[in-house]
Amino acid sequence: MKKTMRIACAVMAVLMMVAVLTACQAGKAKNYAANNTEFVIGLTGPLTGSAAIYGTAVANSAQMAVDEINAAGGLNGVKFKLVVLDDKHDASIIATNFATLLEGGMQVSLGAVTSAPCNEFKTYARDENVFFLTPSASNDEVPEFDNGFQMCFADGNQGKVAADYVNKTCSGTTIGVFYKSDDPYSVGVFDQFKRNLDASVKTVETSFNDATATDFSVQIDNMKDCAFIFMPIYYEPASLFMTQARGVIADNAVYYGCDGLDGLTSMEGFDVSTIPQEVSMLSQFNSKSTEGASAEYIKKYVEKYGEDTLNQFGASAYDCVYAIYGAMKKAYEADSKSVYVTMSASELCEVLKSQFTGGYTCSGVTGETISWDANGYVNKTAVKYIIKEATGGQ
Amino acid sequence: MKRPAKNFQWKHFANYIVISVLLIFFAVSSMTGNLRSSGQYLLEKIGYSMILAVSLSMLVGFLGELSLGHAGFMCVGAYIGGKTAALLVPALGNGLPAFLIAMAAGGISAAVCGVIVGLPALRLKGDYLAIVTLAFGEIVRSLFLNSSPESFGGSLGLTTPRYDRNSLFIIAFVVVLLTLAAIQNLLRSRHGRAITAIRDSEIAARATGINVTRYKLMVFAMSAFFAGIAGVLYSYANQTVQSSKFGFNYSIEILVMVVLGGMGSINGSLIAAALITYLNVKLTKVLTGDLAVLQNLVYAVILIVIVIYGNAPFLAPLREKLDLGALLRRLTRRNADPAYRRDDEKSWARVPTKIKMDELLSIDTRPEDNRAVRLNGDKPGKGD
Amino acid sequence: MEMISTFLNGLSLGGVYAMIALGYTMVYGIAKMLNFAHGDIIMVGGYTILVFMNAAGNPILATALAVVFCVALGAAVERLAYKPLRGASPLAVLITAIGVSYLLQSLAQILFGSAAKMVSLPNLGAFPFAGIRVQGYTLLTLALSVAVMAALTAFIKFTKVGKAMLAVSEDRGAAQLMGINVNAIITLTFVIGSALAAIAGLCILMKAPSISSTFGSMPGIKAFTAAVIGGIGSIPGAMLGGILLGVVESFCNKVSAIAPYTDAIEFGILIVILLIRPTGFLGKKRREKV
Repeated sequence: MKKTMRIACAVMAVLMMVAVLTACQAGKAKNYAANNTEFVIGLTGPLTGSAAIYGTAVANSAQMAVDEINAAGGLNGVKFKLVVLDDKHDASIIATNFATLLEGGMQVSLGAVTSAPCNEFKTYARDENVFFLTPSASNDEVPEFDNGFQMCFADGNQGKVAADYVNKTCSGTTIGVFYKSDDPYSVGVFDQFKRNLDASVKTVETSFNDATATDFSVQIDNMKDCAFIFMPIYYEPASLFMTQARGVIADNAVYYGCDGLDGLTSMEGFDVSTIPQEVSMLSQFNSKSTEGASAEYIKKYVEKYGEDTLNQFGASAYDCVYAIYGAMKKAYEADSKSVYVTMSASELCEVLKSQFTGGYTCSGVTGETISWDANGYVNKTAVKYIIKEATGGQ
Repeated sequence: MKRPAKNFQWKHFANYIVISVLLIFFAVSSMTGNLRSSGQYLLEKIGYSMILAVSLSMLVGFLGELSLGHAGFMCVGAYIGGKTAALLVPALGNGLPAFLIAMAAGGISAAVCGVIVGLPALRLKGDYLAIVTLAFGEIVRSLFLNSSPESFGGSLGLTTPRYDRNSLFIIAFVVVLLTLAAIQNLLRSRHGRAITAIRDSEIAARATGINVTRYKLMVFAMSAFFAGIAGVLYSYANQTVQSSKFGFNYSIEILVMVVLGGMGSINGSLIAAALITYLNVKLTKVLTGDLAVLQNLVYAVILIVIVIYGNAPFLAPLREKLDLGALLRRLTRRNADPAYRRDDEKSWARVPTKIKMDELLSIDTRPEDNRAVRLNGDKPGKGD
Repeated sequence: MEMISTFLNGLSLGGVYAMIALGYTMVYGIAKMLNFAHGDIIMVGGYTILVFMNAAGNPILATALAVVFCVALGAAVERLAYKPLRGASPLAVLITAIGVSYLLQSLAQILFGSAAKMVSLPNLGAFPFAGIRVQGYTLLTLALSVAVMAALTAFIKFTKVGKAMLAVSEDRGAAQLMGINVNAIITLTFVIGSALAAIAGLCILMKAPSISSTFGSMPGIKAFTAAVIGGIGSIPGAMLGGILLGVVESFCNKVSAIAPYTDAIEFGILIVILLIRPTGFLGKKRREKV
């Protein structure tokens, strides 16, 4: 009896598997946005956990942009709505979050905030044909498919530009490199940097990871003779590094970083002017800007959410919302039937794709003229921005 | 000769039947297009969580060894199985053959790790073993995290093929059924009784001729094998396998499923796995935007309240009063028969004439002072 | 020369680990539970220092208040979450401790936000010492940890309460029969552990003045490892384990080729030590009886 039950179970299981594998490819092209009264923008990012600051900055800024657009009347009277879900920087939550967003009527997306989740996100976006423009997932593979676009510079690109700069200025010397070995951003920039570096430049490579992210005395000691230190890391560990390196690394040394360093100046409790060395970075956004669009953005952001979470990703997200809005508006003005509030994500994706690859440019707080190439990478000017001149020393 | 039918008991098959019925229901609703993608993803997650919980339950609840690194075994399965799948899919196509081979690869490599972790278990006891499993989990995670991008994807994670989303949840549940069949049959056999004997007293088990070494290694290997299988399912459900997922916190989440489900209860683990997975997904969905920070708060409060309610000695009378099982028993016909008495530990504890040995002893030492009576069993008293 | 400075760094890191490990090991020895929320007490201590540094600007006052706050919190957690479970299965207590840990972390995120905050503690400068420069915080951390450990050892050896603690860890039932108030002793253990955690929080902040809600997790796990290496339940063991781990970590980080594997190496050392000595360096062997 027991045996028969067991066999019955097994047979049933196998039957079901076969039945389902063969039978169920039911079409799922359903328009979840059919009842929308607003355009719905979806976003998933880490709102809790150790990467929460990036998600929070992006979510706040995107919400700010959406509020502004709505206050100005939306797109021909139709308002926008932003839905943000928490993914804890965990790729395995993306599937559920994507489905939840889509089933909640999402028509266009800002993708995922961090790289690994965004690489997961892009596959679902491809399957369902949802347009996304990520403000901050800078991995080179993120815009792999034709419906994915980046607002930030890709990691590899930054590494290459940084290497070019170093080749020019530090030829024949030994420079220090300080990167985070378990962070895709840092590793991505570092890899391309090393690949493009001249043989004449010697490097002292040091790294840290999440577990050793607070005590850099050893790394600092290893690089104490370097006059130029390249640090493709985020500003939090960088601020710690600079604090701890005071008095060990020469006062006339140069710290040079990528866009991750942005936010250094607005960090609570950290005063960059107490660092004797020159601190500079390659960036799209200047968080100490006092004029133009970025100054205005900074003022509004700090008023609303405080200085704590102000960083380039937020600025980038702010631009993303405006870029999408601008492209939709442009398409709407060209053909008022092509953009409507109940259109499916897939239809809107086609509209936006043709805009973004068809010479659409916009301006925002992270660049005067922003455009995209056919691969989905962003074209805008990166500047070497000196956060702080060297004091003392020289 | 016919064997007597009393060998067969429906309750032994209840969980297979319930899971199968639910599965058929969901499969049909998926085929007719009534099950949304988010529902399918949830079911996939519940599927592999159940496998994880049941496999850990075998280790913690039946063998009695605390493991704080179960996610490490899953990590091995996810990476090895995922890598195998990534290599095989271009050649074999993304179908069942590649899936089964990946399953075998992931499961077996995890089982090998299980034996390696099981070896210290022969020497170490209790909390010391727990910390070894924790260390193992962290080591595995760290090795995959620092792997080269070509081998296991390094810090960005391994890219693995994803299975057809309409059928993966069904496969996941079929694997749950097979896992259940394997583990449950083992635990109900002679071997299972040997395993629980080791839990209750290793020395006594050894004295009766049970090969403790063999059984311990076997349980570790099996438990790790199924965790590895769950890992392969995980890698098939996601395109990216991130090592950061398999940290200490995830091991703890699996342990919470086992503990809340009741130690030594397979069905309890299954239910707790489903409920906790559902709760986590639901919290993410409901608490969006600014409210997301409340997720962990709600989860933590629920966890603390449930554990204290379920375990605190001073709440025992309340638990008895609100015991659903007892209520059901009272309502069912069987209990109407006054001759029927449930023979369980709880009712024995209520029998007033039964005097515990230690109580007797403490009364004898200081008969006039009732403070002494209170002392046994570390029960807190009012004056403390 | 570099070896010496690496070694000194390792010693001070080890001192921090030892202070945290003492909390784990005392609670384990006396209450027989793994207090996984201990790491988060450090985090609470760190945030308290942040708040009072911003309000008053006096680091000594801020630390004193952090100690007081952590002590109150430790005692409250013990009374509210762990005491009801006395006599319940150790696993239930473990899960509750984890629940408390999640609770403290999420409360910190709600109260202080997700961004890491810098704590502006005074810069202690660096001192020349035998041809190398030693950072002020390294010396202060070393001094603090030595002082704390000496005080704790003296407290346990020479005071009546300390002896009572030893008695409870030896045999709770017998200690109770001798008239020791076991519940009070357990609460006291949590109090001492939390005070040490607050001081450890200060030491970490002096070196790396940045704090977020997961501030205490990694030091917590490392210190737990240290406690087990030394033999959990043994106070000199916790000190030994902490210092060993700190020095190993410092030297591993020194070599850039193996630096990414520092964690793996530390945990590997733990496993090897436990295989050779199943109860750690100074742990008590418990003979199993039928």
